[in-house]
Amino acid sequence: MMEEKDFHLADPTWCSGCGIYAIFSALKKTSVTLEMKPEEMVVVTGIGCHGRLNNYLKAYGFHTLHGRTLPVAQGVKLANKQLSVIAVSGDGDAYSIGLGHFIHAVRRNVNLTYIVVNNMIYGLTQGQTSPTSRKGFVSKSTPLGSKESPLCGPHLAFVSGGTFIARGFSGAPKQLVRLIEEGIQHTGFSLIEVFSPCVTHNLANTYDWFRKNTFDVDQEKGYDPESREKAWKFLHNRQKLAMGLLYQEKGPSFDDLVLPMKTPLVQSKMFFGQKKLDKILEKFE
Amino acid sequence: MIKDISVMIAGKAGDGVLFTGNVLAKILKRQGWEIVTYRDFPSNIRGEATNYTIRASLKKIHGRADSIDVLMAFDCDAIFHHIDSIAHGGIVLCEGSEVSRMTPADRSARTFHAFPMRTLAKEKFGNEIYKNMILLGGLCHILDLDLSVISQVIKETFLERKGPDIVRRNIEAIHLGCEKAKKIVEAHERHLLKRKQDVNRLLISGNEAIGIGALVAGCRFFAAYPICPATEIWQWLIHHFPQNNGLVVQTEDELAAINMALGASYAGARAMTSTSGPGASLMMEGFGLAGMTEVPLVVVHVQRVGPSTGLPTKSEQADLLQWIYGSHGDFPRIVLSPGTIQESLEFTIKAFNLAEKYQCPVILLTEQDYGQNYRTVEKFNLGKIEIDRGKLLTKKELLGLKDYKRFAFTRDGISPRALPSMKNGIHMIEGNEHNEWGYRDETSRNRTKMMEKRMRKLKTARKDLIRPRIWGDKGADIGVIGCGSTLGPIREAIEKLKDSGIEAKFLQIRTLWPFLDKEVRDFISTCKQVFVVDNNYEGQLAQLIYSQVRPKIELESILNYSGHTFRPKDIANPIQKAQ
Repeated sequence: MMEEKDFHLADPTWCSGCGIYAIFSALKKTSVTLEMKPEEMVVVTGIGCHGRLNNYLKAYGFHTLHGRTLPVAQGVKLANKQLSVIAVSGDGDAYSIGLGHFIHAVRRNVNLTYIVVNNMIYGLTQGQTSPTSRKGFVSKSTPLGSKESPLCGPHLAFVSGGTFIARGFSGAPKQLVRLIEEGIQHTGFSLIEVFSPCVTHNLANTYDWFRKNTFDVDQEKGYDPESREKAWKFLHNRQKLAMGLLYQEKGPSFDDLVLPMKTPLVQSKMFFGQKKLDKILEKFE
Repeated sequence: MIKDISVMIAGKAGDGVLFTGNVLAKILKRQGWEIVTYRDFPSNIRGEATNYTIRASLKKIHGRADSIDVLMAFDCDAIFHHIDSIAHGGIVLCEGSEVSRMTPADRSARTFHAFPMRTLAKEKFGNEIYKNMILLGGLCHILDLDLSVISQVIKETFLERKGPDIVRRNIEAIHLGCEKAKKIVEAHERHLLKRKQDVNRLLISGNEAIGIGALVAGCRFFAAYPICPATEIWQWLIHHFPQNNGLVVQTEDELAAINMALGASYAGARAMTSTSGPGASLMMEGFGLAGMTEVPLVVVHVQRVGPSTGLPTKSEQADLLQWIYGSHGDFPRIVLSPGTIQESLEFTIKAFNLAEKYQCPVILLTEQDYGQNYRTVEKFNLGKIEIDRGKLLTKKELLGLKDYKRFAFTRDGISPRALPSMKNGIHMIEGNEHNEWGYRDETSRNRTKMMEKRMRKLKTARKDLIRPRIWGDKGADIGVIGCGSTLGPIREAIEKLKDSGIEAKFLQIRTLWPFLDKEVRDFISTCKQVFVVDNNYEGQLAQLIYSQVRPKIELESILNYSGHTFRPKDIANPIQKAQ
């Protein structure tokens, strides 16, 4: 039986109070609960403060280029579907430079889990406006306030055919653990966006701000995450941002559809005999 | 007796030019002739002028010919456009009304056959589409092609997709064309082609050969974005990967394609992507990641004409330096340049071994010319294919290690590789500079050592690289250097020069990077005069030789950036003039 310490490689050095600590902790807890093994987990990260996660979490890790987290993660999973693949990005990685990959990964529906650490700012580069920054947000890159509307990842996932769309909050760790657990168990692409305050550079969107400006759909009476109508309504709430398991749709994943054989692709036979080749070559004769 | 013949089929996109040409190529191949096809298409589905040339020969041929012997024209424009390429004594088959518009000079040197293909197609079949087969029937009479062979080819082409009725109508159209030709063409105007046995040969394109190469090399993961002229590789693989537990993924762009292939390779699959032109530019970022993370990767780049969108369906060699010097930062890479279809297959297999042995990206740099065009080759015989996965650890070996270091500093620069899922192998793959365990380390001591370790792999790889090949008389004073598709016209130019008493030899460079300078220097030192043939404007191969070899004599560049490949005379003439 694994324990949390088996997934703990080193103590993190994120700023004290950073929202990512809660994600790190939730990932370790989930790994224990789901009886995962460090060598069977691959954590793929992008560029941003979240990218340090590989240095602290014990698992196979791939720290990729800015924005290319999902293509790499999908490649890993499709090559070896027996691995648990968890991709982690920041809001810049997922929704700005990697946005094209994001919506296509959603609609492709490869069986992996995607955690987007959303702090509404570029933290690693010391505080520029991000695609999820609120309109009017003042930062080093928009000293007169951002004139652009914020982008909503869960919304995009919903209209792109997403099959598991959730939003957690670093200030609500219990729910976060549950969402990640459900996400990993979901067949297909699971998006868990996590509101994760940047305590150093974003003094507008603090823990308190998120508490005041969100509502939890998990607390709504009789909420059915499989209802498209309700999910759409919650995502459309202009006053407050929806949290919880917003939408889930059950069905086969991309891997189920394109890789029907039981053996993972990495274990398929490489050798190809002349006889088999001759058959193929007939067409060219 | 005709020993070498080039037939051009010309019309508008949508006329069925490609299809007709492919049928003709197959027929001539079955008659035992050597085939080289040359497509000259616009990047357009319908409406624009297009042509396709089938060259057939009794001797070995390597590329397109200097001129056209037979023009099968679907419209008047085609004749006006190509009249100068038609050899004197050549034949033109056309609907008929165009003939009167030709100048007497044009007409006197060539035979025009008015062939009412459209009228006949409409009369007999109620559909103009049959004009192609009617015209082909006419050509069959002129060249005395075997009608039973033709029926067989039509059957193979149509039966599965279109059914027996369409097969019957097409064969009827061919017979109709043949009968019509008997009335129009005089006996002395016929050129009866000799028939030979067609044994153990294939008619195949370079792109298809690469697909086959990947499959037999054990590649089972392919991710790409559609782009001319590389897409045939994918379209071939998609029919053969699924039943071999392989996967082809259509990605959203080339950034995703290269990174997804990288992810799959990291997980342990032999993975490949293919692209061209703008797609290659997008891949530069991931190319660097592969170099930095030492994840094996094979990228096929079928070159088209750039820059930007350029001429998407035509051939050039202007992306040589992109892969040698491209992406930011220094990292090891291997760039291979096959010159024939057979080499496209062999180098693909080799590329996978090199990528895994030296844990670096390997670029298979080919060209639209022999990528999309068909040639006859000897049937592929695999012999014993070696799949060398380099320093890939087994589960048992890994368990025996005390402190596994994925990027261990080794004498040869190559570090032992573990795959996710293996016990005792947990490590990190990092695009940032990293230490022996893969974790970020920006100290200058580590940076220096790690950089030298990575780059050292190329030194180790040198002995394993594909050496240049010398063609022609080794004692000749005139040397020609080229790579890739220029092999064909250079070899034929050398034969031509020999006929006029000029001896020349040809050095075919097959590994562009790391550059095998010694072999090239030695070759140059045996020549009094050296010509470097580049299918680009800036003489990229010549630049490479200058920078790597520093030759004592001036190299003379023979360049072509017309959107077409060289013909033999484009190379032979400047060499002859320089004597």
